[in-house]
Amino acid sequence: MEHNVLNEDELDDWLIESIKLYDDLHVFELQETTQVIEWTGEKSVCVAGCKSVSRNEILELALPQRLYSKQNQGLCPERDFKVVHGGFSDRPISCLKHIRGTRILVSSGPPDSSLQLWQIGADGSDVIKPLHCIHNKEHTKNWSRIATSDSGSPCVLHGSKVKDIQVTDLESKKAVYSLDTDNTDSVSSLELLSKDEFLLCSGKGHLWLADMRQPGSLATPCTLLPQGEGLHWCMGLRNRLSESDAASSRVARLSSFGHVLVTDMRDASSPLCQAKLNLSCDSSDYNIMTVTWAPALDDCLAVSGFNGKVHIYNTKSWIPTFTEEEPLFIHKGHAIAEGPGDRSSAVVTTHVWHPWKPRTLLSAATNGSLHVWDWIDQKMES
Amino acid sequence: GAGQDVGRSCILVSIGGKNVMLDCGMHMGYNDDRRFPDFSYITQNSRLTEFLDCVIISHFHLDHCGALPYMSEMVGFDGPIYMTHPTKAICPILLEDYRKITVDKKGETNFFTSQMIKDCMKKVVAVNLHQTVQVDDELEIKAYYAGHVLGAAMFQIRVGLESVVYTGDYNMTPDRHLGAAWIDKCRPDVLISESTYATTIRDSKRCRERDFLKKVHETVERGGKVLIPVFALGRAQELCILLETFWDRMNLKAPIYFSTGLTEKANHYYKLFITWTNQKIRKTFVQRNMFEFKHIKAFDRSYADNPGPMVVFATPGMLHAGQSLHIFKKWAGNEKNMVIMPGYCVQGTVGHKILSGQKKLEMEGRQTLEVKMQVEYMSFSAHADAKGIMQLIRMAEPRSVLLVHGEAKKMEFLKQKIEQEFSINCFMPANGETATTVTNPSVPVDIALSLLKREAALGPLPDPKKPRTMHGTLIVKDNPSEEVSAAPATDRVNQGTPASLSDEELGGYLCTLLRKGLPQSTG
Repeated sequence: MEHNVLNEDELDDWLIESIKLYDDLHVFELQETTQVIEWTGEKSVCVAGCKSVSRNEILELALPQRLYSKQNQGLCPERDFKVVHGGFSDRPISCLKHIRGTRILVSSGPPDSSLQLWQIGADGSDVIKPLHCIHNKEHTKNWSRIATSDSGSPCVLHGSKVKDIQVTDLESKKAVYSLDTDNTDSVSSLELLSKDEFLLCSGKGHLWLADMRQPGSLATPCTLLPQGEGLHWCMGLRNRLSESDAASSRVARLSSFGHVLVTDMRDASSPLCQAKLNLSCDSSDYNIMTVTWAPALDDCLAVSGFNGKVHIYNTKSWIPTFTEEEPLFIHKGHAIAEGPGDRSSAVVTTHVWHPWKPRTLLSAATNGSLHVWDWIDQKMES
Repeated sequence: GAGQDVGRSCILVSIGGKNVMLDCGMHMGYNDDRRFPDFSYITQNSRLTEFLDCVIISHFHLDHCGALPYMSEMVGFDGPIYMTHPTKAICPILLEDYRKITVDKKGETNFFTSQMIKDCMKKVVAVNLHQTVQVDDELEIKAYYAGHVLGAAMFQIRVGLESVVYTGDYNMTPDRHLGAAWIDKCRPDVLISESTYATTIRDSKRCRERDFLKKVHETVERGGKVLIPVFALGRAQELCILLETFWDRMNLKAPIYFSTGLTEKANHYYKLFITWTNQKIRKTFVQRNMFEFKHIKAFDRSYADNPGPMVVFATPGMLHAGQSLHIFKKWAGNEKNMVIMPGYCVQGTVGHKILSGQKKLEMEGRQTLEVKMQVEYMSFSAHADAKGIMQLIRMAEPRSVLLVHGEAKKMEFLKQKIEQEFSINCFMPANGETATTVTNPSVPVDIALSLLKREAALGPLPDPKKPRTMHGTLIVKDNPSEEVSAAPATDRVNQGTPASLSDEELGGYLCTLLRKGLPQSTG
């Protein structure tokens, strides 16, 4: 009884504090933890369960009106997400991508590297229907990373190990490209830059820019990395500007030790800048490490997956030498649970930025929470 | 109403030969007769009394009770109307308010009168929670706590071994002044639940409160005044507690006022219905007067003209008359001020107009009022969401679920979810559509021991597989019982026995039933 009372007071304290920290804050509780938040339109996102035992739900949620209304938000009563479409998956969903311009979703998850295709709302109903499966040329026990094209081409890039990366045409279900290599490193992140080029980041942190017009073995990776045992890396690609600028992409790589390397692909031999982030790691699951660039805020990136917080950094002031950097903002909400339960153990599983609201993010955590928050840049305010 | 339609809840249940009407609400979106449920489904021309055994009202919101006086006095129903004590106390107030707005403000004529409301309420029988009420010797009902608003209840309706639970509007998360809905494992044959919010994932209460506090804080900081029009109860309570709790922490100096009429009414109701609020409030109430807040004081009309920031709670809730409208007129012209509407407003009220974005209002005497103050809408209404519905089904363990208040095509996923998770059927009828569910009530058969002995003495027990001629059937239905021969019996007995059975087959079937009922050892 005492513990509950204390809990409420602490929650109230955070509530008051949050008035100064956020312009807007929404806290939701999903029935199942999600490891994915994928935009399926300007006003909708998909989330999906990741439990290994029993059925998982895939949900397409319509954003609360307040979050997409550009005019007077005051008269928008709606603060809630609406489940507009839902479906069931037998396997947990670790990766979920939307094919732009269609109502198709591609997902992957244990126990193997195959992909599952889904149709959102066929026949005007609210059900997300399973379509068919796609298999890699080599079937492995690790789930595949997936990348889809911005231009809405019906092809997906996928793979769980570097050697089984391929591009599959969804209509013919046939592989139209595959990498010719023996490299068995795990794939950590994939990004399709254009219809011909893609970026690949392995779990070891090696970064490759591959041109599909030039088949052949994989070149040596672009950059060298700090060595370390048990390190795992992932990458985040800054907004693709245009097709012709594919090579001028900026990439951030994040290690499980909290190192961030920012590389400009035009000169990938040495990092543009790098930093050591002071992130305490409460998680042993490297798959949920996430680094993303803000689409509407220059040079800002967000990092999560280490603990119950999302950290935001401004890389503008970062330098090429390895230095410790402080965050611009920390979202602590997930670490402060809404109800009974061990609040200290919640870890953020994923986060995404709103496509055009500069400081709005969506984030999810292992306690089933889903937050939408619009943080205030204290430096700008003062 | 309420079948795939938001607003205007009115469900008719036929169970064990009894007809029960669940809720009698009005549709907020219409101005004509479409605002009322279509009672011609029951009968075209006469009064409803002979067709209905009782009416049950779940709570005082107008979309659940707004058509009650119309139904009982204009269409005509003289039987009992059941509702909880708080609902009985609050309903007439809201109905009268609604009537005033519709008739006096909008000049409508085909509407119920004040006297009709009074006459209607005379037919009301108030019930307590968890109390089994015998409507007649076969029909009984029981109310369960639903949360949502003061006095809201879920009802179990039982005839013999068949039962239905109707949820009305309910909420599975406790808040600052109400508890969460609760029901026991009563295993009804059908659970009728609203699904408006079943496909919603609700923003947490705290975030809504935060939004409210932020708005009040910002307005007061810039020297503006905040007007919060409220009904006497429920939401007002909650918002007061909220402001009181945080005023200190937020270091705010502006005064908060509560109009006195409000205080008296609210105190009165809370004293009466203290058991309906949650633990915390009950504890607070026992210690002191509901409205003895440190920072919240009684309002005087003259304060509205005081300079500087302040927050005022005033009635009525839709800004259609009285003190809240009076204050609104004074403050509307200043953009530093804010009005926060905490609930739905009926069409025709000032509240409704400003929420629709109207900036120029025509007041009495052809005067125009320019609305420069900020208008905010704050929904604190607590409804069950996607998670809540699943929780309730888990609690009650119904044999099937019926969803009302939503669109069928858009509930297919929820239907599948319920069916898969609980292995039960889920129905979603539209207005005017009937949903039928087959129940399997067991029919207890008693037989005198002497008769059994006599039958056993005649020889071996009947073998259901061997045909035996059936000579007659005893039908016990109503009074008196009668003996009929096999053929007409198969026509009349409609309890899952196919009508095409031959006499022999029917005989065999009855033998099986008897066999099952025979005691193990015969003396």
